[in-house]
Amino acid sequence: MVVDLAQNTLDGLMLGSAYALLALGFTLIFGVLRRANLSYGPAIMLGAYAATWVNLQFHSGALVLALVTIAGATLAGAYVERLCFAPHGRRSRSGEAAAVASMVGSFALWMQLEELATLWLPKHLYGFPPLYDGPPLALGPLTLRVEYLAMLACAVAVCFGLHRLLNRTRFGLAVRAVVDQADAARLAGINVPRVFMLVFALASALGGLAGYLIVAAHEQVTPMLGMWSTLKGMIAMMLGGLGSLPGAVVGGLALGLIEAHSQWLFGPQYRDLIAFLILFALLAVRPSGLWAMLRRSPAPAP
Amino acid sequence: MRRTLLAAALAAFASPAAAQRLAADVDCKPARQALVYDCRIALKEAASRKPVAGADVSVGADMPSMPMAHNVKPVKAAPTNQPGEYTARIELEMHGEWALKLNVRSPVRDVIVKKIDFRERP
Amino acid sequence: MDEYALGVLTNVGLFSFLALSAYLLLVAGEMSFGQQAFFGVGAYAAGIGTAMWGWPLPVAALGAMALGAAAAWLVGWPTLRLRGLYFAMATLAAAEMFRILFELFHYQRTIDGELVGPDGTQGFRGIRWVLERGIEQETFLAAVWALLLVVLAAFAIVERTRLGATLRMVGEDPELAAVLGVNVARVKLGVAAAAGALAALGGALYAHHNTYVEPRNFDIMLGVHSLAYALIGGLGTALGPLLGVALDIGLLESTRVFQGYRMIVFGGLVALLLIVRPRGLLDEVAVSRIAGALRRRRTA
Repeated sequence: MVVDLAQNTLDGLMLGSAYALLALGFTLIFGVLRRANLSYGPAIMLGAYAATWVNLQFHSGALVLALVTIAGATLAGAYVERLCFAPHGRRSRSGEAAAVASMVGSFALWMQLEELATLWLPKHLYGFPPLYDGPPLALGPLTLRVEYLAMLACAVAVCFGLHRLLNRTRFGLAVRAVVDQADAARLAGINVPRVFMLVFALASALGGLAGYLIVAAHEQVTPMLGMWSTLKGMIAMMLGGLGSLPGAVVGGLALGLIEAHSQWLFGPQYRDLIAFLILFALLAVRPSGLWAMLRRSPAPAP
Repeated sequence: MRRTLLAAALAAFASPAAAQRLAADVDCKPARQALVYDCRIALKEAASRKPVAGADVSVGADMPSMPMAHNVKPVKAAPTNQPGEYTARIELEMHGEWALKLNVRSPVRDVIVKKIDFRERP
Repeated sequence: MDEYALGVLTNVGLFSFLALSAYLLLVAGEMSFGQQAFFGVGAYAAGIGTAMWGWPLPVAALGAMALGAAAAWLVGWPTLRLRGLYFAMATLAAAEMFRILFELFHYQRTIDGELVGPDGTQGFRGIRWVLERGIEQETFLAAVWALLLVVLAAFAIVERTRLGATLRMVGEDPELAAVLGVNVARVKLGVAAAAGALAALGGALYAHHNTYVEPRNFDIMLGVHSLAYALIGGLGTALGPLLGVALDIGLLESTRVFQGYRMIVFGGLVALLLIVRPRGLLDEVAVSRIAGALRRRRTA
């Protein structure tokens, strides 16, 4: 019983690190642009499909596949940014209307990217080489999969790295200036559209990294990956607190824990029901999210 | 227009006509081209299991998660030598589970929905 | 009429109810990812009403609308003070909860030797009221569009009254509306309930058109599409959502020129369209221009 509880908690944290990685990219875009990119997951999926194709053709190693996934996701993300985000700048009539237009546009491109991927590789399911072939680690009576450990390490490293990037570099200074006061930043000579573009590309690359680790852990790629990534990333981001990087990690881990425990207690249908119920209740009561609750202060800007 | 509306309004509260329910067995096999399937349909009366010959049947398909958009243009099913058996060739947009919709216009009007998982050729 | 044309026209009509439901909330300043839930509530409720309890469809549809409004009120009450992505995600979570509850919902009865009723993920078969009455497809199509015209007329009337102006003010500047004495929360709850009833009516008709529904019919794809249709068509008039639906389903789907590439064409077109017209084809400016031109012609 205690072992089960511990194992479920461990599984949840591992599953949650995948969600945390997905949420980090999502949060970066939202925190800086104040817009949701629904095509985030489909761009990741396109990267994963590119890697699957490369794997089918050349049987490449893990590093090449990871780089192809990241490159594919970044390219697809840049395409989405050019078509759905760059044209709806803050010069539009009101910020909110532009945000809705960006979001619906990114949904339209979601449909496009998804159809592109299924035209490219039309089968329902493709195998994907695992990152690590050996047995899971044993910690006494508990088991731990190495792939997920890698995800957790990446999530923490990415969160830390982003924090340093935003707080210790010139680029980070520009990003923070744009977040605080876009107009003032423009007057100070910062190329705001370029900052947005770079942030978007960075977020998509992070998504690609998350995507690679996830498909290598699942050892398969299906057309569901796009929707799955967008939904899990968005839910984790909202749970943790919109626009906060530590919140994304906390939200991802919390979602993983909720799913692992409720699946074990009540089965898979109730797992999703409970996850959505908690998200709904949290939004109704504490929309600023778990991280803000932990810190007992409003969500900080990233 | 007004007549059909009136008919609809009348029909809405009228008593049901005793329509004979139909049932069908459907078997779909992938054809040579990708995403094209040949379906054999055995149409029968639901109660008596008697085959229904000479029926006007068309076959369409819906993707369950996009019920009104991703659909397939219905095709007329052609009768075979077997009484009550029909064939139709349908072309899908993607693999996966589809809801096959058999629309019967005569001898009685009926709609039969079958869930079929269309996989690629092994 | 050709059977395919019949099907497309019916689908355009049915989808329009959902798109109008999303439009109504957009006008009041809220973006919902969850209107498909009330479409589903309407489909299940009306299906149970006619197929299992023997109610006539009009009665069942009214019951479904009441239930849809109640469900939307319940979802809206704790969430309508949220804005933007917060509200969108809350409605998405609620809609997914409804979908999973449909998956867990088993309620079956034997009628004429056949098991009828919702059977979890296996779906709800045998919603045969339209068939049993011998109603032709053409008649059903006419009924769908007649109801849609009634809804559009109601929208047109509301737009001309003070209520319509209040709605748009709540959508564009809720703080100003509150200062002017509008009870913003109550107006939004009313809008949410009306949008729920509208979606439920569409769902009731959809279930009877198709004779079969399943939980997956009501997943997020349906909701986001309806939102996109409302926005593409334009937020200036209730005809906008219809235009959005007609463009996608009526034009691209039925011409079949782009078969296999439809989503690539449609997705690209929508993204480009939104660059030129971020509030849709028939946005407020376009609508007031058209209305002005019409007025001038009438007075000339």
